[in-house]
Formats: sequence, structure tokens, C-alpha cells
Amino acid sequence: MADRSDVVGTVAGPGDDPNEFVFVTPSDKSIKTGEFITYTVPVEDEPRSVFARVTNRELIRGLPEGFLADPEVGPETVAATLGVPTDDTELYRLTATVIGYYDTNMTTFANPRQLPDPGTPLSIAPHQQLETVLPNLGCETDSTDVTTLDGVAHIGWLLNRPAEATNLHIPIEEFASTHLAILASTGSGKSYTASVLIEEMMRPTSRASLLVFDPHGEYDTLAEMQGEEAFQGEDGYEPSIEYYDPERLRVRISELEIGDVMAILDNPSNRMQERLSTAWRAMQRQESRTWGIDELIAEMERIYGDDDASVGALEWRLRRSIERNDLFHPEENVPLDEIVDPGQCTVLQMDTLDRRDQQLITTVLLRRMYRERLGDVRDRDSDIEHPIFALFEEGHRFAPASGEAPSLGIMRTITSEGRKFGFGLGIISQRPSKIDQDVLSQCGTQISMQIKNPSDQDAIKNSVEAAGEDVLRELPGLTPGQAVVSGDAMNTPALIQVRQRRTSHGAGSRPVIEEWREAYDERQREPTQSESADFGEGDSTGVQSLD
Amino acid sequence: MHRSTTRQQYGDEAMTDTPTNVDSPDLDSCVRIGSIVSSNSHLDYVAEVYKERDCDRPPELHEREFGQPVFIKKTVDGTEHAVMGVIYDTQLVDPDQGRTGPRLAQDDQAQFTPGYIEERTTLAGVALLGTAEIAEDGGIQEPTHQMPRWTLEVEDTVFQCPDQVTVSFHTVDDQIQLAYMDRLLDIAGDLGSEVIVALIGRLRGMLPDNDPNQRVLDVVEQNVQWQAREQRGMV
Ligand SMILES: Nc1ncnc2c1ncn2[C@@H]1O[C@H](COP(=O)(O)OP(=O)(O)O)[C@@H](O)[C@H]1O
Ligand SMILES: [Mg+2]
Repeated sequence: MADRSDVVGTVAGPGDDPNEFVFVTPSDKSIKTGEFITYTVPVEDEPRSVFARVTNRELIRGLPEGFLADPEVGPETVAATLGVPTDDTELYRLTATVIGYYDTNMTTFANPRQLPDPGTPLSIAPHQQLETVLPNLGCETDSTDVTTLDGVAHIGWLLNRPAEATNLHIPIEEFASTHLAILASTGSGKSYTASVLIEEMMRPTSRASLLVFDPHGEYDTLAEMQGEEAFQGEDGYEPSIEYYDPERLRVRISELEIGDVMAILDNPSNRMQERLSTAWRAMQRQESRTWGIDELIAEMERIYGDDDASVGALEWRLRRSIERNDLFHPEENVPLDEIVDPGQCTVLQMDTLDRRDQQLITTVLLRRMYRERLGDVRDRDSDIEHPIFALFEEGHRFAPASGEAPSLGIMRTITSEGRKFGFGLGIISQRPSKIDQDVLSQCGTQISMQIKNPSDQDAIKNSVEAAGEDVLRELPGLTPGQAVVSGDAMNTPALIQVRQRRTSHGAGSRPVIEEWREAYDERQREPTQSESADFGEGDSTGVQSLD
Repeated sequence: MHRSTTRQQYGDEAMTDTPTNVDSPDLDSCVRIGSIVSSNSHLDYVAEVYKERDCDRPPELHEREFGQPVFIKKTVDGTEHAVMGVIYDTQLVDPDQGRTGPRLAQDDQAQFTPGYIEERTTLAGVALLGTAEIAEDGGIQEPTHQMPRWTLEVEDTVFQCPDQVTVSFHTVDDQIQLAYMDRLLDIAGDLGSEVIVALIGRLRGMLPDNDPNQRVLDVVEQNVQWQAREQRGMV
């Protein structure tokens, strides 16, 4: 029998839904929606703690609203005047949804298929128990010290509880292999949360191999992990943070597929497309992997003759779009063994590249890495002999619902097949409705933060089946740093406060006024020059991202 | 006890005890409104209003009007207390008209049967609100709006309560109090909200205009009025 001292309420009866019950609490037991409560039921003659989530709270008895008539007179003053006691008058009626008891064999929740009887005492679920059973940690008891486990990421604590009271450690393996989505409006803490996860993954207990596709230059501060004691292992391990700026980002031309080339070229005619495809395939069949535009054009002229008008038009376009773009090179390629390594987090700084180039470098890199992972799993020679996890800011740019990105195909392949080959993706986006639905729905773990736009909320609802309606209802009201974590990494969704970073946060809004004034002063000093202030093309870290 | 004797006693008291200072009114010098003749319940008494014949200075009409705060003195365990009340109802009785009132058997026996009302008279309903101790200086202290435990007796004198005492009784820690309100509503029945509104009106007039309790009284009055309208099916 439960000790009545920690009882916070009493079951009144069943609720509207089959899994729902209603209970009553006095006002001093202030229970918020989203709180986890427990009660005991016998399951096969053994007492089990059943967990339930509070979904609604309404006042059933309290001071009359008439007491609120004058905003300058507090209702408690009116109550005191009338001799109405205010401390224990209020009664609340709460609704809770049964999550289940923790089945230690299945290491997840099992539904007792039976609601608590009226009169059943309810308690607040203890911290350690929740830390054990909420995330999908596979613990064999329902109360474990999860801080001692390897491969877990301490992401934050339950929002309804005091700071750091009930901590959430999620299994890195789950979200890193079955993909992760971090979805929220700009400024809600997506990059911050991603950085918290990166910090956790780079700790000595995990030593992940990470790749960050950073279109805004928001991850420069991760380097602070190096030399920081918290990240050092007893065996001398220390995470290595590598930055690749556009100078070091190269795409070998032969790595491009015909679809990629078509995407770069400026409106090629049907005839041009047909000629280019034929020649491109011929080049790809060659032994050499280091051919350039000259060789390609020579091949076209060989097939179609050197005075073919379409070939001429193609030559002009190819030279302009590929040859004159430093990103593409006949020989150079980003060396995979340099950008992925266990214990290494590589940040691809793409902030000075235009969107098309960002997409192309991403496409080619993903394709190459996927090939290597495939090779490794199939026991072929491979440059990448360990699982990898790649994180994308502006995920909708690389896997757009509109389909207009060369990277979409490989993103779809990796999200649907990657788990078999140790290739996980993390998609960060402020516009979930603009992400390809196949890609989004394959992200097994979701971290959803404040999101107000109704179509984006719908996109989350549709793809995030694990998060119940009651949890998603919270999304518009969250403040930066608050999140709903749901999906494969969790046994049941939870509303959390994301912890503080150990490294500093590099992605603040720009001080717009300051920059205006500076730019103005600059101009005053150089009255002859008529250059306008340059806020940077493709750099949307400003006030608000418009895409 | 003979009624006239009682009257005489009180009259003497009134003459000897005169108020010493204006700040703390002497409860002994207050206007006598009448005496208790019966009760309907523990908190609900009937007083017969004094007439010219009954005492030196019978109450004037405005001193015993509807909503007038009153008190009755009671010595309990050696301590003098004021049992606080309010006139919540009045009734005229004319024993010769329609024979509604209690009837007298014989005209000449009138003054020996105080339980009967022998002439045209005014009865006042007095609802008890709470109690307070009578202080040394003649004012009150330790006011409480809890239900008074003591019963009044027939012939107990009902005094008009001075404004200052009314304010003291309604003030606990600088906070205005009408904690008896639900009991009073219950006793006063149909006139319940009216008597509370009348009380609030009096308190308002007694407090300075800028007293923060004025606004509290407004809210309480609104609530009472609204409740009354709801009960009467107006809203
Ligand atoms: N968990 C957190 N703890 C403290 N502050 C946070 C947290 N998450 C976000 N913030 C604050 O919110 C701001 C915006 O976060 P950021 O991750 O840059 O937003 P987004 O990437 O969604 O646009 C940060 O600069 C930081 O001040
Ligand atoms: Mg961001």
C-alpha cells in the first residue's frame, strides 16, 4: 500500500478515452499538466508502478469569479473580507493518460489494460524511476542510476520539475542510427540543442564520428571542447574538432551524377540534355576518375562532331557553371578519411557558398560516404569503417518537400536504409512543412521545440506519430530551450528543459541596430565610396530566416 | 422581572456614565433601541423598540432603521462582551387590528405580563454577527465574526452601535471584514442582500474616501447584489 504522505491526489473515475482517468487534488499539491504520476496495481499478483501523464487540469472549486471584479483588489483580499479561507479552498480536477508499467523483460511500457479504481491514491513519480523508464535505455530494473551508463546523452531535465531534478539521458545509439529531427521556429534553440547533443556524443564514453553541415557558421565554438577537462578520457582521449571552410571543400567533377549536372546548368534544352547524358555516362564508364570539362567536351565532340550547335551551347554553360566554380575540380576531392574519424567532429562551413553549391557538396559527400558505409558493412575495402552521424542545419534545403534539390535522393536513401549501414542523419529545420515527408517520417527520434506556424505544427503531427496530441499541444507555448523529445530514443514522449551548453553558443542574432550605425559611420568616413553594407549572400543568421 | 424596573436601572446607568472622550465612545452611553422579546433561532432575535413610555430617550426613527448595527452587552466569565448584531427586519404590531400580534388577556394586567405585547409596537429583527470584548476605555477589542456562542435573554437591552465601534468590529489587521456574511444572508432571507448593502453603505461612509478598503467593499457589494439578482431570477 502506498505511503499516504506522498500521495498527491485520488482517482475519481474513468475519463473520456479508454486510457484516461480523472483525479482530484487539493490546491497545495500543485500538479502541472505533463507531470508524471504513479499508482500501484497488481499485475499477475505482483505490485507494479503504473505511470500516467497528466493531460489536463481544471479548477472545480475555487473563489467565485465575482471576487475578481476589481483588478486592484486581489481576490484573496475579498475572500479575507468575507472570512473565506483561501489556502485550501481550491480543488482541481485533473485528467491523466495511462502510459503503462515498465515491463523489465520488454524494457518498455506495457499497458495494464485496466484503469485505476476510484479512490486509488496517486503519487508523483520518483526522479530515479522516471530517469530509468522514460528514455529507451533498455534497463532491466525500473530504477537504475542512469548516469553510470555508457552511450547516453544528458540532454536536460523534465520541464515540470525543478532544474536538474529529473534528468533525461537519451541513448545516443537510438537517435544516431535511426535518425533525428530537431524542429522549431528560428530562435527556439535548435542549434543550441544540437550542440548539446554534439557535446554529449563527443564525450569519452561515446567518441562519436560526427559531421556537421553548417550553412550559417553557427558551430565555430565547438572547438572549445578541445582542452576542456570534461571531454577528456582517462586514456588520453580528447575530441578533435575539425573545420572545413570553402577553401578546403572540393567536389571532384567525376563524382557528379548527370542529375546533379542538370541541376547546375542553366536551363538546358532537351537536345542538350540528351547529348550531355550520353557523354557523361561515357565518361563515367572510363577508368579515369580525374577528368574535367575539357575531357567531357572532347568526348561530346567525338560523338556529335566538333561543329554541333548543342555541344557548343553546352560547352559555354559547363565552363561557366562548373569550370569557373572553385568548388568543382577534376582531381581534388574532400578526403573522406580526413573528415570522418571516431572522436572527431567535422564542421563543414558552408556559409559563403550559395545554396546550389551547398546542395551539391552535400549531395556528393553523402553519396560517397554512403558508398563507403555500404562497402564496410559488405566487407569490402572502405574508407569509413565505423558508423557516422551527419547533422544538417536548414534540413529543408537539402531534403525539400518541393523536390528541387539534387541532395534529396541520397537523403531519402540514407534515411530509409542508413540504419542498416551505420549512417545516421540529424535534420534541423525551422520549416518542417517544407521538408520532404519521406525524409521527415524516417527520423525516428524527434526533438520538437516552440513552433507556432500551423502548417509546421501539422507537419510535425503527421510525421511524429510517437508524440501524442497532448504533448504536441504544448509546442506553441514553449520558450527557447524547452523541447518535447519523442520517438525511438524514448519509451514515452517527455517535455524537457534542454541543459546549458558547456561550450559557448555561437549563433546569436546579429546586433542589427549596432550594425546599421556602424555601417553608417563607415560611410561617413568614406564619402567618396558608394558601396552598400554587405550583409552576406545566403547568410540568413540575421534577424530571421525567411525560408 | 418587572419591565419598568429594568428600564429604571438602565436609565440610572445612562445618567452616571457619560462619554469621557470622543475618540473611544462609551458603550454605556449609547442610545437604547429596545429590548429582546423573543428569538427565532440562536442568531435571530426579536426586539421590541422602546417608546416614549419605556425610557428617557427612546430611539429616533433614524437610530433604529433597517441595517442599523446594534450590540447587546453580556458579561461572560467576568469579562464584559458586546454581542454585535444588525437590524435586518422590522414589523409593526397592532394587537387590536386583525389580531396578528400576541394578545393580552386583560387590559389592566398589561404591565405584569411582559411576554405579551399589549399595545401598538414596533418589533425589530436582530441578527447576531459576532462578538467583541468591551475594553477599559469603553471601546471594543478582539472583534470576531465567528458565530456567538452565548444566548441573549429576554429583556436584554439592544443598543445602537456607534460608528466607531462598527468600524472597529469590521476591521481586523487593517483589513475590512464581513466574515459573517453567509450567516447573515441565511438569517435575513429575502432581505439578506439588502441588509448587507446597507451595512456596506454605512461602512463606506465611515471610512475615509481614500481608504483602500473602499474598493474591497465595492467588490463585495457587487458580488452580493449580483447573487441576489441571480437568486431572484433577474439575470
Ligand atoms: N537550452 C538552452 N539553455 C539556455 N539558453 C538557450 C537554450 N536553448 C536556446 N537558448 C537561447 O536561445 C537562443 C536561440 O537558440 P538557437 O539554438 O540559436 O536557436 P535556433 O537554432 O532554433 O534558431 C540562444 O542564443 C540561447 O540564448
Ligand atoms: Mg540555428
